[in-house]
Amino acid sequence: MKALQITDLKKSYGANVAIDNISFSIEKGEFFGFLGPNGAGKTSTINCITGIATHDSGTIEVFGVDVKKQYREARKLIGLAPQEFNIDFFAPVRKTLDYMGGYFGLRKRERDDRIDQLLHLMELEEHADKQFRHLSGGLKRRVMIARSLVHDPEFLILDEPTAGVDVHLRHELWRYLEEMNKEGKTILLTSHYIEEVEKLCGRIAIINKGRIVAEGDKADFISEGKSLEAKYLSITEGEGW
Amino acid sequence: MVNWVGLYTLCRREVERTIRVATQTLVTPWISALLYIFIFGEVVGRRIDTIAGATYIDFVLPGILMMNVITAAFTHSSSSLHFQRFVRHIEEVLVAPFSHVEMILGFVIGGVLRAVLVGGGVFIIALFFSAATVEHLLLFLFYIISVAIVFALLGVLAGLWAQSFEQLSVMNTFVIMPFTFLGGVFYSIHMLPEKLQVVAYFNPFFYFIDGIRYSMIGIRESNATVGFVVIFTMMISLAIFVEYLFKKGWRLRG
Repeated sequence: MKALQITDLKKSYGANVAIDNISFSIEKGEFFGFLGPNGAGKTSTINCITGIATHDSGTIEVFGVDVKKQYREARKLIGLAPQEFNIDFFAPVRKTLDYMGGYFGLRKRERDDRIDQLLHLMELEEHADKQFRHLSGGLKRRVMIARSLVHDPEFLILDEPTAGVDVHLRHELWRYLEEMNKEGKTILLTSHYIEEVEKLCGRIAIINKGRIVAEGDKADFISEGKSLEAKYLSITEGEGW
Repeated sequence: MVNWVGLYTLCRREVERTIRVATQTLVTPWISALLYIFIFGEVVGRRIDTIAGATYIDFVLPGILMMNVITAAFTHSSSSLHFQRFVRHIEEVLVAPFSHVEMILGFVIGGVLRAVLVGGGVFIIALFFSAATVEHLLLFLFYIISVAIVFALLGVLAGLWAQSFEQLSVMNTFVIMPFTFLGGVFYSIHMLPEKLQVVAYFNPFFYFIDGIRYSMIGIRESNATVGFVVIFTMMISLAIFVEYLFKKGWRLRG
């Protein structure tokens, strides 16, 4: 079964076309890399999948559920850790996770158990009662990932989850993500760290100027002795796939 | 199927937000009301005989109470929504399995609860000045809650519309404040020149203030039916309009 099926998706902001008729899919259990330069349409695509933005035309299905027509069911299946800290900076970490669990319909006991589990998993226990604004950059990133996992979604979207994070913590986050993927979560990852995508993802798509310009297995991108970064640069600079 | 746990969480978050900044949200309006009651009731009121058959403090208290209910409901929902849009943590709600109506209800119930807390505090303060009476309890509750709903909805509208905190204050300064003061908080409209009395009847705030005044001290200057029609018309039309904007995602979803 496809975890994500995007067909003929279009999205414009006024005269600016952000997504220009793209189609791609992700299989269940895949770790999928979604690459592209700044402003290429990655976050716009993610926003359309999650409901932060509404698309103009085309369809998006998550595990066969249409994100517009059956939006409640679709949203329960998706967890999002966005690029920006779209969070209440004054709320303590535990409270943020508690609200998010509540929004997704988790009852108190279920919520408390899940939050304890996530705080442990992300090594956030000693920071649970601190306000988000008082955390370091790395801890903030961990909270964002923990928040996306509160309702135990099947499909996880991570929009530059390691931006601004030091090397040590980045490696720790990679380990968490690989574990989650092994446990069966489907993951869509965007990142400007090409080596991160190369290490974690099995399949990759590149978007540029709102269009998918390349899509395939990681092996297809790193063949002919080229690194993924070199291939990425040649594709986004217009040399073709 | 309603997301009951989600809706309860939205309301809980709004109440906890009110309590988190209680000095600003609760203590400030209570102190302001205390000053109004002291100055108009004790200082000025002692030099005024009666107004429409009531002592001055009895006459102005319902208006002061309603003024605080209006401000609390409006300020809560407008600032909560606007701030969440500003720092983008409204996206937590947008990605969750909520219907548009559930989202609106979260903000409106939050505004109504804050209005009830503020109004309840003002009422208790007035008890110390022997000024708080309620002649028609059900009508009193009706006016508090229905007017709070109207202004919480108006607050949601302002929270969506405003592109900056400065714009957010425009509605309060240029609409709510003048219409409330001109709606007869501190005077009987019969004290106005005849032509202005006619104008006062076109001010919806007059019916809110006059309605609660009747429920508290039994004095009415307006037609009750007109008042009910004004309240329900505003409530229903605002609810429909706000729901339409949420459905469209206006200034919410990119």
